[in-house]
Amino acid sequence: MSPDSKTRPEASATELIALRKANDHIDSWTQRLVRRSGANRGAGRMVVALLAAIALFTVLNPRVFMSPINLQNIAIAAPEIGIIAIAMMIVMLTGGIDLSLVAIANFSAITISTLHTAVAASSPELAESLAILIVAAGVLVGMLGGMFNGFLVSVVGITPILATLATMQIYNGIAIVWTGGSTLYGAPAILGTIGQAGIANVPLLFIIFLVVAALVAVLVNRTGLGRMIQLEGANPVAAHYSAIPRRAVLMKTYAVGGLLAGFAGVLFLARNPTASADYGSSYVLLVIVIAVLGGTNPTGGFASVTGVVLATLTLQVVSSGFTAIRLSSYEYAIAQGVILIGVMILDSVSSSRTKRPRRSAAPPPPTASPVEAASLRP
Amino acid sequence: MDMLRKLRGSNNEGVLALVLLGLIVAMSIANPTFFTLNTGFSILRSAIVPVVLALGVLIVVITGGIDVSFAAIAIFAGYSTVSFCLTLGFDPGLIGIFAIAIGVGAALGFVNGIVIARFNLPTLIVTLGTQGIFFGAMYTVVGASYYAELPGSMAALATSNLLDVETSSGRAYLHVLVVPVLLLCLLVAWALKRTMFGRSLYAMGGDMEAARRAGFQVKRVQVSVYMLVGALAAIAGVIHIVLSRSANPRDLVGGELDIIAAVVLGGASIFGGRGSVIGTVLGVLLVQVMKNSLLLAGVPSAWLRTAIGVLLVLGVGIQAVVARRDSRRIHVNEDLELDQTQEQKVGA
Repeated sequence: MSPDSKTRPEASATELIALRKANDHIDSWTQRLVRRSGANRGAGRMVVALLAAIALFTVLNPRVFMSPINLQNIAIAAPEIGIIAIAMMIVMLTGGIDLSLVAIANFSAITISTLHTAVAASSPELAESLAILIVAAGVLVGMLGGMFNGFLVSVVGITPILATLATMQIYNGIAIVWTGGSTLYGAPAILGTIGQAGIANVPLLFIIFLVVAALVAVLVNRTGLGRMIQLEGANPVAAHYSAIPRRAVLMKTYAVGGLLAGFAGVLFLARNPTASADYGSSYVLLVIVIAVLGGTNPTGGFASVTGVVLATLTLQVVSSGFTAIRLSSYEYAIAQGVILIGVMILDSVSSSRTKRPRRSAAPPPPTASPVEAASLRP
Repeated sequence: MDMLRKLRGSNNEGVLALVLLGLIVAMSIANPTFFTLNTGFSILRSAIVPVVLALGVLIVVITGGIDVSFAAIAIFAGYSTVSFCLTLGFDPGLIGIFAIAIGVGAALGFVNGIVIARFNLPTLIVTLGTQGIFFGAMYTVVGASYYAELPGSMAALATSNLLDVETSSGRAYLHVLVVPVLLLCLLVAWALKRTMFGRSLYAMGGDMEAARRAGFQVKRVQVSVYMLVGALAAIAGVIHIVLSRSANPRDLVGGELDIIAAVVLGGASIFGGRGSVIGTVLGVLLVQVMKNSLLLAGVPSAWLRTAIGVLLVLGVGIQAVVARRDSRRIHVNEDLELDQTQEQKVGA
């Protein structure tokens, strides 16, 4: 029930009332749905944006956009970007940022491809039977990359943006040297099979994406670590006084981020069995856009996995829609920037509108005694 | 001890200069061809564009913000000016070209500034967004063709040298643009140190709210800072096109991180409130010498990226560790004072 429907004078026409009732019903239903999924308004807003984007491109070019191949392409391309965006979201929850995620994903893909090619050179059967181990090694490399970020941020104390800027260069540079700047071919065949498989026309990759998102949602919303990550981002000083182990939390956060990025590297290979150092270099901006669009607060503390999943889909829809109506990737770059800044402006305007009355309604509490005030100071 | 501290400089410029000197000496011993006028002049030449870009980044970093759209602004302003002159077939002269480019750059910077100041948004994310917008707009509105020929005045500037010295290993040229860039550095250094505008940048970087309460027009300064960054980027963009003797829309973008790394290495604090022109210039030179010497030492160019990353980790890591040690010392003192005041209150 929306609160202002009660205060408004009742319309005389009965159909209007019925309409309003139906409207309220849908309103509360969607609200409950969104709330039940553990999401904040980021998710609600993204549902609207996703539907609007789909509707827009369906109207503009229904034949190309709504074709099953296009929809499947969206579902296959979304997971790798989406998982990196979720990794970005987790790091942003602590108030940090991880620019090295795409480099880590490539590093993981290169590791897997190299290991596979090396083992397959002596015996292809052995390489296939070791596929799981090889893939695990790639994911492990991703996690190690994340842990090194975590070490720089939490132990050495470098600002996340600079630490990950540097590690992005380092990982990327090592990857270039390793591959000699060329593209590597070859990946365990099982990855290709997974990449092509589907359940009832839904690509398996997409299902994997949803499962990973659900797992991360559980981690963030239902575990002690998730709670500590949120608190650390919402208010580091309060977290410090609540005996939250800052170093350990940051370390684990970046490790999880690296792990997810490593997993995204596995998906790179599943989609296309090639690995190179500069694959997806345009993803760095894209995943930040997705994370922020999905309701992640860049200053930390608030995020929604559902929102990020929906934002991923929305941007994929916009991207393929732009292709469907024959706009270039540069126009898509403009759209990304406009969407990002537009959403942030909208957020800032709406949050200042909701905050102001509350502030005037509740006067600040009587000033604390000097001793208390002094002890509150960090 | 005081003497040592003075040599170290307020932002560790002395340490940086020592590192740079050490690197040069080590390289000269390892490879005698390094220590020639040729290498020196070519390093200076390669540092011209990064120094101008770094000055812009320094200004915005001092206020506690960050701008990653400056490379897009630089190439947008430079490329569109050249494109404009060539398609209309007129040559407004060097001053005209720089004026047009600076106008374009300042206008783009104004977009950044107004969005950031008006809505109080995180600067990194806003400029990441505008980076995409500016770059995309250049391709879709201005065009994407490569110009191998420049307007006459720019082409003439490209081949003018300040010094032309005969050395044992061939002729060494020092490009004339080194002079205006040096003047620009002095101008920025003077503005930061001696003007009210400069003081307001440091004040804002120290504490935005405190600066506002002290009477600084924080929002207005913020907008002018981003316009200034845009203008400096535009100058760098034109210079880049002059030096490379062609206008390629694909240039510069992607090299933002090297510039930011150089500025941070130069002692500017990413949290704002600290940084100097000398440190920034030293930081840029360090990165350029590093690149040059690694190439001379036969290290594959692919390692350059990693090397700059490692340099950044070391530079910032040492700063972070030192800063934390200092702040711990301050905290201890504060706690002591706090205890004393509390005791006094309890006693009273």
